[in-house]
Amino acid sequence: MDEQLVIEHLSKVYERGEVLALNDVSFTVKKGEFLVVIGLSGSGKSTLLRCINRLIEPTAGKVFFEGVDVTAASSRELLRIRRKMGMIFQQFNLVKRSSVLTNVLAGRLGYVNPWLSVIHKFPREDIELAFKNLDRVAIRDQAYKRADELSGGQQQRVGIARALMQEPDLLMADEPVSALDPATSHSVMKYLEQMNQEDGVTVITSLHFLSLARRYGTRILALKDGEIVFEGLPSEIDEARFKEIYGDEAEHVEVS
Amino acid sequence: MQDRYHAELMMDEPDFRKRFQSIRRRALVLLTDVIALSYLWTLASYCWNRFVLGTGSYITLPWWAMIIIAIEIAAVWENFGVSLGMHLLGVRLSSRSEESNPANHALRYLLWHIAPLSLISFFFSSKEEPWHDRVTHLYAVSAAEVEEKRVSWYRTSWKNALALIGVLTVLTAVGVTDMDLYALFTRASRTGRIWTRLLNPNFSLLGSGFRLLIVTIYMAFMATIFAIVVAVPLSFFAARNLAQGIIGRAIYTVVRVAISITRSIDAIIWAIIFLVWVRVGAFPGVLALFVHSIADLTKLYSERLESIDPGPVEAIRAAGGNKLQVILYGIIPQIINPYLSFTLYRWDINVRMATIIGIVGGGGIGQSLYQYMKVSDYSSAGMMMLLIVVTVWSIDYISARLRARLN
Repeated sequence: MDEQLVIEHLSKVYERGEVLALNDVSFTVKKGEFLVVIGLSGSGKSTLLRCINRLIEPTAGKVFFEGVDVTAASSRELLRIRRKMGMIFQQFNLVKRSSVLTNVLAGRLGYVNPWLSVIHKFPREDIELAFKNLDRVAIRDQAYKRADELSGGQQQRVGIARALMQEPDLLMADEPVSALDPATSHSVMKYLEQMNQEDGVTVITSLHFLSLARRYGTRILALKDGEIVFEGLPSEIDEARFKEIYGDEAEHVEVS
Repeated sequence: MQDRYHAELMMDEPDFRKRFQSIRRRALVLLTDVIALSYLWTLASYCWNRFVLGTGSYITLPWWAMIIIAIEIAAVWENFGVSLGMHLLGVRLSSRSEESNPANHALRYLLWHIAPLSLISFFFSSKEEPWHDRVTHLYAVSAAEVEEKRVSWYRTSWKNALALIGVLTVLTAVGVTDMDLYALFTRASRTGRIWTRLLNPNFSLLGSGFRLLIVTIYMAFMATIFAIVVAVPLSFFAARNLAQGIIGRAIYTVVRVAISITRSIDAIIWAIIFLVWVRVGAFPGVLALFVHSIADLTKLYSERLESIDPGPVEAIRAAGGNKLQVILYGIIPQIINPYLSFTLYRWDINVRMATIIGIVGGGGIGQSLYQYMKVSDYSSAGMMMLLIVVTVWSIDYISARLRARLN
């Protein structure tokens, strides 16, 4: 199967019809792609990602993941589908008071016996996997620290390790580097790139900076007011397209 | 395709809601002003009666006359200036870029008396504004649309009204509470005997007082422990952000109403109810504290739940965690320390309350304190008070230290 994710006429309306966050969005994602979604704040990037795993219920339209209709899935089926979709967040979404290891293991909750998870019991293999994933993002030595003792970049790496615990086929990242400084941004983006290239995980990420999108994306999708205004290769975004996406008053800002 | 979809989503919205909101806002403005003016009138007439005429009655006019006058003043206020209600609800009267004409204000004041008719027809009409607005070219608009000059507070009518309400409230309070500074400063010597006895406690009661003290501390302990068992699960139903769906919302409302009623009934009242129910002693005291603690803890707990970081919850959901796992891994780690801290605080309160509850017959050291006071045995009462002071002080200290470590 070539097309891993198919989005058809997806729309989301907030607050009883007053805000149209997504308007009839359709696109497909092939297995192994690194798709970057760009657009201004409020253009619907976060809503789009959250509609794919139904953290936000779409108002209309369909989402197919590996041939399965996500939008029609029962709540039990949805949990199984979500296991295969890792997610990384702008604000990391870690439990600040818990240890790094506990946070990473939380990514495995979709797989473990729910009754054993009540007593915080994880299988030995899962704990080994957690350490392996912490190793991958180079913070194994921080495993027993509290999550909020880590720096922003390290916290986002915990977020990546947590998503890796799901052994995902698709990795979604919602502005993964917006809360980080430019230098750390690249280190985090490189981990995403590594997963994409080495493990063949499909990546969909929203990004603020066009320079980052050009550097890492194999394809770019631009949203404006909830609609797709551009879809194509990074190299196709010229000055005219840039103005179209970000508005006439926008200036290029580089993250080097 | 895109346009059709867009049209479907946006155009179907009925206009009635907007009009209903507009009408409701006008009604609320009037209601606020009438309440404020009636209150002001009541205070003014009380102060006049009490301090000028020297009588004690509150109102000189019948209540219906007062309401009619308040409505009339509100009408003048709202049509010629910015009333308190208009300010609070963000409404202004604007001529929409036309020249403002005093005659229009006067006309609108007259037409205002048939505004209900105008508003009813407005609800069913297709016009953007009601008839009495259009005729006078004065429209009730949102405050955000109007540019306003800065005016000093003493030249702003709603601020004047608020200041007047403040001053009259204080004056009325002085009147109704029979403040008597003369007695306060001249009759202190009459209590001398009580003070000397209280400060010479009867130490032969140390042993029996100590036993009573233990009863009181355990009363607080029992009440707190059992209240936790009920309040922790209840708090999840009383948190707005966790109440989902119609059933969730209904349970939320019921629990919230129940705890605010329970909380508003003082523990002493609960003690009297339980005294009748299970007979005099320490047990009704425990029950009273228990009921009051449930309500109090549920409120504190649920407010903490309402302010949790939604991020971890989202992350667990995204990883395919079920509802139970979301609570265990996304919510509980965030609330466990605050919950412990609230519980310690409540235990501290319960120890203090347990002594008070003793006074109405709820057992423990409070009960004998009250009995000694009643028979004017002040030195025995002094012993009980000494024990209470030492206990409350040490528990206060311990609980504060523990809470500081939790935060």
